[in-house]
Amino acid sequence: MRLDYSGKKNGMKYHIITLGCQMNSSDSERVQTVIESLGFSATDNENDADLIGIIACSVRQKAIDKVYSRVYKWNKWKNKRNLLTFVSGCILPADKEKFLKLFDFVFHTNELNLFPEMLKNYGIVTPLHVQETKARPHVDIDLFWLIKPNYQNKFEAYIPIQNGCDKFCTYCAVPYTRGREVSRSSDDILKELERLVNLNYKSITLLGQNVNSYGLDKKGSEISFAQLLAQIGEFGFKSGKEFWVYFTSPHPRDMGEDVIQTIAKYKHLGKQIHLPVQSGDDKVLIRMNRQHGMSEYRKIVDSIRKHLPDATLFTDIIVGFTGETEEQFENTRKAMHEFRYNMAYIAMYSPRPGAASSRWDDDIPLDIKKERFHALSEDLRLETSAYNKTMIGKIYRLLVRDTDRKMGYLSGQTEGKITVRFKSDDLALIGQFVNVKITSAADFSVQGDLIQVLETKVVENV
Amino acid sequence: MIKPSVEKNVRISNLIDIRKLTNSAFVLRFEKHDLSFTAGQHIALGIPDIIDTREYSIYSAENDEAMEVLIKEVEEGFMSPKFGKLVVGQKVKVMKPVGYFTINKDYLQSKRFVFIASGTGIAPFHSIIKSYPDINYSILHGIRTSEEAYERNEYTAGKYIACTSRDKNGDFHGRVTDYLQQNSIDTQAIYYLCGNYEMIDEAYGILEKAGVKPENLKAEVYF
Repeated sequence: MRLDYSGKKNGMKYHIITLGCQMNSSDSERVQTVIESLGFSATDNENDADLIGIIACSVRQKAIDKVYSRVYKWNKWKNKRNLLTFVSGCILPADKEKFLKLFDFVFHTNELNLFPEMLKNYGIVTPLHVQETKARPHVDIDLFWLIKPNYQNKFEAYIPIQNGCDKFCTYCAVPYTRGREVSRSSDDILKELERLVNLNYKSITLLGQNVNSYGLDKKGSEISFAQLLAQIGEFGFKSGKEFWVYFTSPHPRDMGEDVIQTIAKYKHLGKQIHLPVQSGDDKVLIRMNRQHGMSEYRKIVDSIRKHLPDATLFTDIIVGFTGETEEQFENTRKAMHEFRYNMAYIAMYSPRPGAASSRWDDDIPLDIKKERFHALSEDLRLETSAYNKTMIGKIYRLLVRDTDRKMGYLSGQTEGKITVRFKSDDLALIGQFVNVKITSAADFSVQGDLIQVLETKVVENV
Repeated sequence: MIKPSVEKNVRISNLIDIRKLTNSAFVLRFEKHDLSFTAGQHIALGIPDIIDTREYSIYSAENDEAMEVLIKEVEEGFMSPKFGKLVVGQKVKVMKPVGYFTINKDYLQSKRFVFIASGTGIAPFHSIIKSYPDINYSILHGIRTSEEAYERNEYTAGKYIACTSRDKNGDFHGRVTDYLQQNSIDTQAIYYLCGNYEMIDEAYGILEKAGVKPENLKAEVYF
């Protein structure tokens, strides 16, 4: 008997596991839309699922190890019950070849539109049912972007605006998993943004592997990233709603003065800049193939400080990259203090399969990497602590995000994404803007008193 | 049903010519179609029906009617031996050119360029020099033996210096970094370095110490 995998008649359930970065989380929201359109309902318990999928991340070895361990388990379950499995997301060609033998369906995210037909035809030999054939026709990612996502949050959302990467940083495999940079149509982006704002979303993040190279692949037939931001800013002004728009991750090479000036001009563009530095040393940056040196990076930060004096600055840093000397690491420590980051996502280097650097000796011992990680974390703590103390006594607008770990408190973020907690047990405030007066500061967060609950309308920044 | 489309960033090209340069190095010449590029950029090259591709700097000039890449076959490699077995008339898969290791055209007339390469790292410089024949340049090529001085006659006499580390048949016996240490350095020139990181690291240090400003040092490591 052939089962009906349309899901509609059988009350079938699906379970999805999303690994990796925000881009995968965003992709997963669209995958869920398509599966639910077939009548499947979500379950948190994989034991109950008729369809299990992974949005994978070949970029991190641990994540990919997780995929293998899960699918071996699921394939054993198939001896006892009906179960279909799929994998999508960021997948290296080498992993993809192996997945073809382990999963029932393997597809790129841009092929998501083909998935219903694959499911429908499962068990019937047609060109499309095949998990992956080398002859499978290409489907543009534009069609993927047209799918309305199943947003996982009621007031914060991601909007993918660009896919792929042309930068070829030597530690990263994304260009090999997601391919060349492709920009989404600005009309589509603005429509999705408008829809979210009309649904009273408060925090919207534009996503892309190189979000600020938006439009460059279109060679003049699409607006630039700065122009896109300006259109969003204009829409925000006309909307009469209050919301903040962010973007991640930008590459310093494409961070033009026009982008910074546009953020300064429009109040709806969040005054928080994530600018990955990765290392504070020119030679390490060359080895990472980052396409810029510290002098260029410094100019960008100078411009941010000039045009956006209240903006917070976040970064990403890798310590213990292949060949990193003590002196080179010290340059990164200097950069931490020079740029006074409000947050740094510090990672100890580990080779990522498929990336150029995975072919090099990972020659910095783990204990040295750990030492550098702790030293740099301490440098960061000094900077964030100093900044957070300057907040005391001031009033900040806050987007309330959740209950705090401390009983009887709620937690939120300022426009600059500094986490603040305040005493309140009013869960109705989650997803709302409030004004809070800061009363004390810790290393990575601050505390304040609720002074005003705001209506959902444009109000001047305080 | 979703209508399939042609992948916008990929072209399938006929192989027009293969020039064997040494026992392990060769130039593949293939149809360019509508792929425009700036000298110094790279493409992903593959073979239809094989999922993997490899990035190669473009070797040919911007306005050449076909496109070329310089490949050195890596014995243990996955793709380069497959490229080495291709014959004229077979097809290759070409993904659109990208990259930032290009020259600032504002400096074409006014600046001197020094290109420093190891091995096949010479490819982007060959493309730049063939695209802009009037450019004021010199090129230091770090190779093991003089037979690896790939198509040296393509460069203006006296501007190409083969630095050979394992024989004395080049223009200079030793590594490019030895050459830099033993010769005067033009601190006003713009330097481009391409190849393995060890060479780039050492050369960068020598040039910086000699007084070349970091903004005049551009580098691209093999990836």
